[in-house]
Parts: sequence; structure tokens; C-alpha cells
Amino acid sequence: MLGSSRVILDRLFEKRLLVLSGKGGVGKSVTGAALALAASERGKRTLLVEVDAAREAARYLDAADSGSAITEVRSDLFTVNLRPQAVMDEYVGHVVKIEMLARRILENPIYKRFFAAAPGLKELMVLGKIMVLEEETHGWARKPRFDLVILDAPATGHGLSFLKVPMAAAEAVPVGPIGANARRILTLLRDPRRTALVVVAIPEEMAVVEAAWFHRLATQELRITCAASVLNAAYERRFTRDEEADVLRLCAEGATGRLTRDADLGAALDAARRQIRRRKLTQFYERRLRRDIDAPLVSLPYLVRDPIGPDALRLLVKRLEAA
Amino acid sequence: MRADLRPAAPLEAALKQRRVLVVCGAGGVGKTTTAAALALQAALLGRRVLVCTIDPSRRLATSLGLSELSQKPRLLPLERFGLRAAGEMWAMTLDTKGTFDSLVERFASSDEARRRILDNRFYKQVSAALAGTHEYMAMEKLFELSADKRFELVILDTPPTRHALDFLEAPDRMMSFLDASILRFILKPYFVAGRLTLKVATRTGAAMLGLVDRYLGLQFLQDLSEFFLSFEAMYDGFKERAARVFALLRDPASGFVLVATPARLTLDEAFYFYRRLEEKKMPFVGLVVNRLHPDPAEGATGAGRAPSPALAKALVEKLAAVLRDQRLVARAERKSLARLEVDVGRAPVLVPELEADVHDLRGLAEIAAAIFGRVPAAGLARRRARVS
Repeated sequence: MLGSSRVILDRLFEKRLLVLSGKGGVGKSVTGAALALAASERGKRTLLVEVDAAREAARYLDAADSGSAITEVRSDLFTVNLRPQAVMDEYVGHVVKIEMLARRILENPIYKRFFAAAPGLKELMVLGKIMVLEEETHGWARKPRFDLVILDAPATGHGLSFLKVPMAAAEAVPVGPIGANARRILTLLRDPRRTALVVVAIPEEMAVVEAAWFHRLATQELRITCAASVLNAAYERRFTRDEEADVLRLCAEGATGRLTRDADLGAALDAARRQIRRRKLTQFYERRLRRDIDAPLVSLPYLVRDPIGPDALRLLVKRLEAA
Repeated sequence: MRADLRPAAPLEAALKQRRVLVVCGAGGVGKTTTAAALALQAALLGRRVLVCTIDPSRRLATSLGLSELSQKPRLLPLERFGLRAAGEMWAMTLDTKGTFDSLVERFASSDEARRRILDNRFYKQVSAALAGTHEYMAMEKLFELSADKRFELVILDTPPTRHALDFLEAPDRMMSFLDASILRFILKPYFVAGRLTLKVATRTGAAMLGLVDRYLGLQFLQDLSEFFLSFEAMYDGFKERAARVFALLRDPASGFVLVATPARLTLDEAFYFYRRLEEKKMPFVGLVVNRLHPDPAEGATGAGRAPSPALAKALVEKLAAVLRDQRLVARAERKSLARLEVDVGRAPVLVPELEADVHDLRGLAEIAAAIFGRVPAAGLARRRARVS
């Protein structure tokens, strides 16, 4: 391992924009929420961005659904759910200064249909908005409005095309403000001082394969720096080496009896054997991630409660902070 | 004969009789693996089956133990994995751009028109990897494959969309986009003169054109108008094709299989998808719930049993804690499942979490056995002993 988690968080929180990516279902949203909580507790004004999502982050943080407005859900912690259509409408309003004309365009069915289908436009708009948020300042001193923006990017497959869009757009639209914006977005994404990628996986073959694949494409093709990988749902070691040996031996012997007043030994041994097996698999995939992704790895524990609430999130923050 | 009451019975019937199965679900629920396991089962049942994935990240290849899948269907060497199948299992991956290119080739009116499109800068970006194209091309390919005599059944693993529904709506969106009338409205001057003239029918149109010009630039406008001009001739062909793809999906010989895990979020999504299928009158075949954790309480309880052999106190506590955790997980899952069963009115097919990761054909056979509760006679004789 390249360093302790504290070092990892220090390093991550030096950036201005963190992009979380990974296969669907690997816990990107919960990771994003935990990172955002950790950053805000260090006094960083943090904005957690979800894209057209079911506002999972709000639930993890036990905050009310605030629609798509930027909302301070705790001190220094803001969340927003960017809806591409709304971002696009805002953009049109911004560009067409005459309100009535803007409204006519926005209400035009052709505009709606074009926007729904125009390839890449949504992604470009959303990334553009994120860039604007990153650059926003406030007050006399023109301090950045947010110290850190965390983007919970859509799942890989999509996620990659998501990040690829500015590259494609810069090429397809060589001139004009859209092309220029695409190039600005690319510059932000590629600036290792400002932006870092965090690749998220779980201890499963396909999630790990995809994480490695994504990492390779992101770093080589898109040239975005990867600052960390996160392994969610990790089964941690709960038994000592000797205890593990005992458990496995008792399992093999088919030991029966009572464990406690209300627990059966056989059932407990079976549960323990599964836990040990998962723990070994976790270690196996940790090694694979270290081998395939050239960035420090943080493992976060499997959470037994569904749905995940603030308590579980607190536990993840502790793990992220812990050395 | 007695009625087959297993939750998987409708699924098995579909594998035997239908010609197209589309496997849908949220990301990360084991869709690809399930699609492959279904295909294997169909092959074991004696059918010639093709499983097709659109996934750019080679997931299916992984679960088939192959390092790479090609765009051409490949016959899998089942016997090498100790599987004896009466049918055949084929697998392939979908190349979105290649499919789009061949569509263009099919519908282009002339060689010149074809080349104009394939070389168009805008087309190159659109057809490569951008939103919606994947889904549309998956359907297109499905249509083509369903007519391929080599296969009696085609199983399509759908793209990793954030919202599974994107898949059903993609063709509509894609067609809306290609509908030249939209952009002709905005870009009319280009279609005519090939250079900017602001004579547009309405003021809104003029404003939109002004916008497009200022923000996209002349070169892009030229590429775009050329793209739509070239597409105009093909549009009807495309549209008719899309309509036929949709009809195919609705056909009683087709079916949708939903995949989820017992986590609340993915079950909610599966239910939502189920409702949409009903609304759109699409044939629903069944719901597979992967990775169900065992409920330790299902076994005997400790009451009345002899105390266990003397164990260190620390170990007893840890064992009790692990058991408690697994019960928590199992209970939460069963609660969510019970709710879903009421909503859908049919029992889902439950697949227990496997102890080992699946990434080869034997593993898939394991899953198939877990789904269907029994192995086709030809199948798995030598496999069972190796499970744990």
C-alpha cells in the first residue's frame, strides 16, 4: 500500500474536483456521500453532485429531498441533483438574454426533441455546469464558492462516454463557444492539481475487471489522473488466524450444539465460514486492484443494514479517516 | 403430469419455446451473468442459443472464461468444461459503431451517399459511443440476429443503463433525433444554400439558428446539415426498421427477463420496469433475484440442544456477532422481497449468493442449476462434488 488512508484523504481533499466512477451497483453514491461528509467535517465547503439520480446521497445523509437546487444539508455540505434538461434550459436562458424569446425556445417542441436525443449534449451541459460551479466565487475576496466538488458520475459504460464527451465535442465542434467550452472542461478534467478520479469497485470479478478497464481508459485515453481506488463491501478480518483454523475445523467436523442461549453453533459456524470465505475473496481482489490500478486503495466494510442511513455513513467516514 | 410450481418454471418454458429474450435490470445486479446462465440452460435443454452482450467492458467474456469476445458469434466449447449439451451455445459482443455503419450501408441510396455519411465528422462522433446509440444498436442487432437461422433463441444482455428504462425508450429518442424535419426546421438555410442565411420561417427558428451558429460554429453546422441531408434519404428505411424492432419486442415469441438483487434500490427499479413493461404491453417472463444471502435462522435453533464444545469466550462472541450480522442482512432482504412479491403478484426466482465468484462456464452451470433447481439430464454429472 502506498500510504495510510489519512494520507489518501489529505491528497484527495487538496483537489477541487473528484470524479467517482465504477460499474453500477458498486456503491459510488455512498462513497461520494462519505467523502463529502468527511471533507465537510474538515471544514471544506463541499458540493456533492449527482446526475439525474434518485437523490441517494440525500437519503444517506438523512436530508430532505431538495429537488434540483443546491442545498446545504449540513454545515459546509451541499448537495445537488443535476437534471440535464434543467441545466440546458438554464443555459439557453443565460445565452438568450431576452426572456420572452428564451421562453419561446424552451417551449418549442422541436427544441425539446432535439435536446432529448442530441448525442452528448446532456453530458456536455452537465459537465459545463460542474465546471461553472467549480469556478464560482463569492464575496469581496472572490473566494471559491466551493472548496471541493465531488461528482458521482453515472456508472462505467455510460460513465466513460460521459467523460469522453468533451473530447468528442472538442473534435466535432472545432470552433465556436461550445467547442471552446468542451476544451475548457477537458482542461479542468486533465489538470492533476485540480481534478482526480476515484475508481470504485466491490470484491467481485466483474466489478474489479471493469474498474481496471476504466482506469486504463481514463488515464490513458482521457488523461485524467487517478488518485485512489475504493473497494466497497469489503469483508474484513474478524477472526484471528487461530480462530479461523478452529472455525474451519469445527465446520469440517460438523460440530453441533448451542453457541449462546439463543444461537445455534452450527448456524454460527456456517455464517463464520461464509464470512471467512468472503474475507479471503476480498483480499484477493484487493491485491488485484493494487496490481491493476496505480493509486492508493481504501477498503470500506460491507454494511449489513439496508437501506444505508447516517450511522452507516458515519462508520465509512471513520474508516476513510483512519490510518 | 403435475403442474410445475417452481418459480423458475415460466422461465424454463420460455427458454424452451421463445425466440428472443431480453435481459434487463439496474447496473451491477448480475445481468450479464444471468443472461449467460440462461443461455447455457437453454443449450443444455437442447436449443441452439446465442447470447449477445453490448457491454463494451467485456463482462460477458469474463463470465465465459474468455479473454475476448468477437463481434461474430462464437460457438462455446461446452464439452471442454465437462458440460454435455444437446444444443449449442454461442456468444458474441456487439460493436455499436460497426452496427451503425452496416445500417448506413444497408439504407444508403448510393455509394456516394454512403461515403458522405461514414466520413462525416458529426456521424463519427454520434456513432461511436454516445448516449442512446448503444441501446438503439442493440435492438437493431437483435432484430438481425433473430432472423439468423443458426439460432433458435437469442438472448440479449442489455447495456448498463443507469435507468433500465432507457433501453426501451432509446429507439424512439434516436428516431426523433434522426427525424430530419426537426433540424431542417432549424437548419433550412444550410440545406438549401450550404451557407448561413438567416431567412428562417419563424422568429423562434431564427433565434434558434442564431444560437446554434454562435454556440456551435459554422463548421459544425455544415457537418450537421450534411449529416441530415445524407440521412434524409435513409430516414424512412430507418424508421420502418425501428418499428419492426419494436414489433419484435412485443411479439409473444419474445420475452423480458428482469434481474435484480435483494437490495431495496434494485428491487424498486425492477418493479418500476415491470410496470413499464405492462404499460407498453411487452411480454414479461420472470424476475430473477441474484445474490440472496442465506438466512441462518432457517436452520435449527439452539434451543434444547446441548451446549457447544468449550470455546474461548472471545470466539463465542465473534461467532455470535457474525451470526447476528448475517441475520440482519437476511431479514432485510426477505422483507424487501416479500413486498415485491405482493406488488408483482408472482414469486421471483431466487438465486443464493454463491460462495465463489463466477467467471467460467462451470460457474455459470452452477448458477443455472440454482435458478432452475434441477439440471437438465445431460448436464452436470461431474460438477456437483466440486461445489464447496
